[in-house]
Amino acid sequence: MSECIVITSGKGGVGKTTTSANLGVALALQGHRVAVVDADIGLRNLDVILGLENRIVYDLVHVIEGECRLKQALIRDKKVDTLYLLPAAQTRDKSAVSPEQMKDLINQMKEEFDYVLVDCPAGIEQGFRNSIAGADRALIVTTPEVSAIRDADRIIGLVEAAELPEPKLIINRFRQHMVDRGDMLDKDDILEILAIPLVGIIPDHEDVIISANRGKPVAFDEDSVVGEAYRRIARRINGEPDVPFIALESSGFWSNMKRWFGVSAAKGAV
Amino acid sequence: MSFFSRMFSNKGSKDDAKARLKLLLVHDQVDLTPAQMEAMKAEVIEVIGRYVEIDRDSIDFKLERSGGDVALVSNVPVRRVTARAV
Ligand SMILES: Nc1ncnc2c1ncn2[C@@H]1O[C@H](COP(=O)(O)OP(=O)(O)OP(=O)(O)O)[C@@H](O)[C@H]1O
Ligand SMILES: [Mg+2]
Repeated sequence: MSECIVITSGKGGVGKTTTSANLGVALALQGHRVAVVDADIGLRNLDVILGLENRIVYDLVHVIEGECRLKQALIRDKKVDTLYLLPAAQTRDKSAVSPEQMKDLINQMKEEFDYVLVDCPAGIEQGFRNSIAGADRALIVTTPEVSAIRDADRIIGLVEAAELPEPKLIINRFRQHMVDRGDMLDKDDILEILAIPLVGIIPDHEDVIISANRGKPVAFDEDSVVGEAYRRIARRINGEPDVPFIALESSGFWSNMKRWFGVSAAKGAV
Repeated sequence: MSFFSRMFSNKGSKDDAKARLKLLLVHDQVDLTPAQMEAMKAEVIEVIGRYVEIDRDSIDFKLERSGGDVALVSNVPVRRVTARAV
């Protein structure tokens, strides 16, 4: 049975595109047929994160306007051949597409793929409404910050108003050493406030920036703790029960000390 | 906060973040202005005051949220239960 999952947040810049790309990769590596849809019309980025920007011929708006067939617009990933990207149009804006058209497109895609992941733009306007139109469920991305959590709360309300099932939460850019010294909201604080189930925690980590530079999502990297975090989220999304959370270690002062003295390098959270 | 004052204070900024968020989310959801909250508080206190003698200076009156539900939480210290006329 195939499923469409929208990745949304309200606030901009919290990691929706990074998460969409990496979950796409992780689910595809686990053998599923996956399409990631860039719904950020006018500000496309998912192509760049996946390193597929040079292969775009047609985009989502071309498909919706009947200028090409869906198959012509889908771009196959270079490294995992069950992953495809449907890029956003760069020279149009959100009003080029309606929620009904989006829903039809997603339904068409669900016939071809096990998972269709929609990378939602920031905000609560038309781009958001288009993105949730064809979705069966939603993942909410937040960071451990007041403004991001506030917007996440708003989005959770809108997702529920749209009669989607209860969304699940991804906490991104988590810094254990700041939590340890009481300067960052912990997982339990955030869950108490937002009151939705957690599906994963992604550490704030330079691997994300390095992989974005290269156009090769960190979920491909066997040795990266961030890659492992995404791979575990993918397993949870796929319904695998009891995928353990990796113990969180500080990457602050003491673990840096340990690293300098050759004690096992500290890793972040998953 | 300097390194040393942080070393010696056990309260990080996270407590501020949490308290502010809780208040923020309740008011995002309920959409009452601070003036309306004050007016409601004054009226409620007025009604309670007709039945019991209360300590008006130490009244706690706020909206709180746990999970998705909002509750009006109030703590009104009673000095003396009077049998005043209603
Ligand atoms: N876990 C992380 N560690 C370090 N940097 C991160 C992490 N997650 C995201 N970033 C960085 O934050 C920036 C924003 O990420 P991203 O583009 O995924 O957010 P977004 O929610 O899609 O933004 P927008 O709302 O603009 O679409 C990027 O530069 C990305 O590299
Ligand atoms: Mg984005």
